Amino acid sequence: MTFGKDSPYYIDFPGRIKAVQAAMAEKNIDVYLGSRLRTMSWTTDAFLPWRSFIVIPADGLPTVFTFVIDAARAADDSWLDEDHVMGFAPMGGQDQISQISDMINELLPRGGRVGVEAGMSNYLPEGYLTYYEYNAFKDAMPGCELVNAHEIIDKLQMIKEPGLINRFRKASCIVDIGHEAVLSEIKNGGWKGMTETEIAGIASHAMRKAGSVWEWSFTGGNEIACGYRTGLAGGACTPATNKKVEAGEPLMVDIHALFGLACGDHSHNYLIAPATERQLWHAKNFVDIVDLTLKTYRAGVTPSSLAEEMMAFAEERGFADFMVPGFEHGIGMLGDEWRIGRHDGPFPYWTDPDHVYQENEVLICAIQYACPDEDIGFRYENPILINKNDCEYMSKYPLAVEVIE
Amino acid sequence: MVKYLSEEWRAEVEKKLTEQLTPDKMNGITSSMNNRYLNCPGGGVKFFYVGFTDGRVSSVQTGDGDGPAAEFTILGDYEVFAKISRAELGSQKALMNGSLKLKGNMVKALKLASLCDRLNKIIATVDTEF
Repeated sequence: MTFGKDSPYYIDFPGRIKAVQAAMAEKNIDVYLGSRLRTMSWTTDAFLPWRSFIVIPADGLPTVFTFVIDAARAADDSWLDEDHVMGFAPMGGQDQISQISDMINELLPRGGRVGVEAGMSNYLPEGYLTYYEYNAFKDAMPGCELVNAHEIIDKLQMIKEPGLINRFRKASCIVDIGHEAVLSEIKNGGWKGMTETEIAGIASHAMRKAGSVWEWSFTGGNEIACGYRTGLAGGACTPATNKKVEAGEPLMVDIHALFGLACGDHSHNYLIAPATERQLWHAKNFVDIVDLTLKTYRAGVTPSSLAEEMMAFAEERGFADFMVPGFEHGIGMLGDEWRIGRHDGPFPYWTDPDHVYQENEVLICAIQYACPDEDIGFRYENPILINKNDCEYMSKYPLAVEVIE
Repeated sequence: MVKYLSEEWRAEVEKKLTEQLTPDKMNGITSSMNNRYLNCPGGGVKFFYVGFTDGRVSSVQTGDGDGPAAEFTILGDYEVFAKISRAELGSQKALMNGSLKLKGNMVKALKLASLCDRLNKIIATVDTEF
């Protein structure tokens, strides 16, 4: 179900398709064949968990292809009608290669240039065309030339429209409700006997009640860690386990909500009493660097310039050894949750360290502090909107490391 | 006995379908299906077309060539269709093993799969010479 024009969450999807078609014309591409999850979300407004494709012709409406068992649901969720969301199945003429190549061959009876999405990703569900798919499409469309064209979508996705920004705000508001629910349950000794998975569930329940449709993170939904698990080296990925929260331990609560395919993502940290002076020192370091980072983000900053500045601060304060020297990850509609920028950095398909942030980009301010030798660590994540002179923190949950009695 | 895909066979099929496939049994659908027979005895392509309007049989046609445009087109060898018409092979099995190819919206086709079976069962009752 999409949002109407009167909704603050409205996105002009036909306009997005027209923008893709204009870029296709500039690059002399006759048909765009998208396959990445980020492309599917950004073009359809529907969650497409099965292997899916979108065929965007030079003009007119696109057609989505997904597993037949989910096609009717996907059509219902998207802005497209059932004639533009096709289901494929292992049947004669109905497999994905046959259906899609039949359509493109009909669109291009004399052949043409078909833009595809080929590349690599650090993120497993990215959805680039596989070697098999590439060759199968090439064989099934002998008159067509397949050219890599994902840059078209990547460029258009970078700047967020008001409707999408509002979806991020709502998702972040929902995450804050999840954090309030967790705090309410763990305070005053409520944490005793609680496992990480239980805390993940408390947050999920509250966020679902508030309108989240999924704890979207592919890294395990709500990522909860306590004790030594908070301090694992470089440990920016902590799917919840059955470990019980213990007195004297840190507790990291990194929760995720999804609203209109916009991802809410905020991590808040606690110390379970009694907290030592050394733990409080670590906590103050962490809070101070998060605060400084948030105050530094603005248009014109780059990932590398920000990292240099923050690491210099950490070095001066004597905690640089505990910092992961990266302060961000990308975010967009579901499936777009990894790199920053495009693909023109020194390492293809990784964040471009020299990407210059522009107004109306949204990213996750992500900071990981870990001291494995002392079994302590903290994580901060918050979607931020880049403004000309500052940034908007979308989660409003107060920045602190609270000691829970 | 009538010859498969002949005018006599077509008339018999139309009579049986009209009598037995009531709008109620056909869920009131408006749709059409064109079976395209490849590798026919003696060569060439033949077709068998059935159209429904509001659940009533509105058109039954056979002939040489590709036939009229339809919401669903099913392509396959003459012998495969003949086996289905003799009730020796299920149409869904033939689709799943790739001996028949369906062109059309699969999601809509799913809704019609059981109706198609009903239709084939009736056709199989026509005393036919293949």
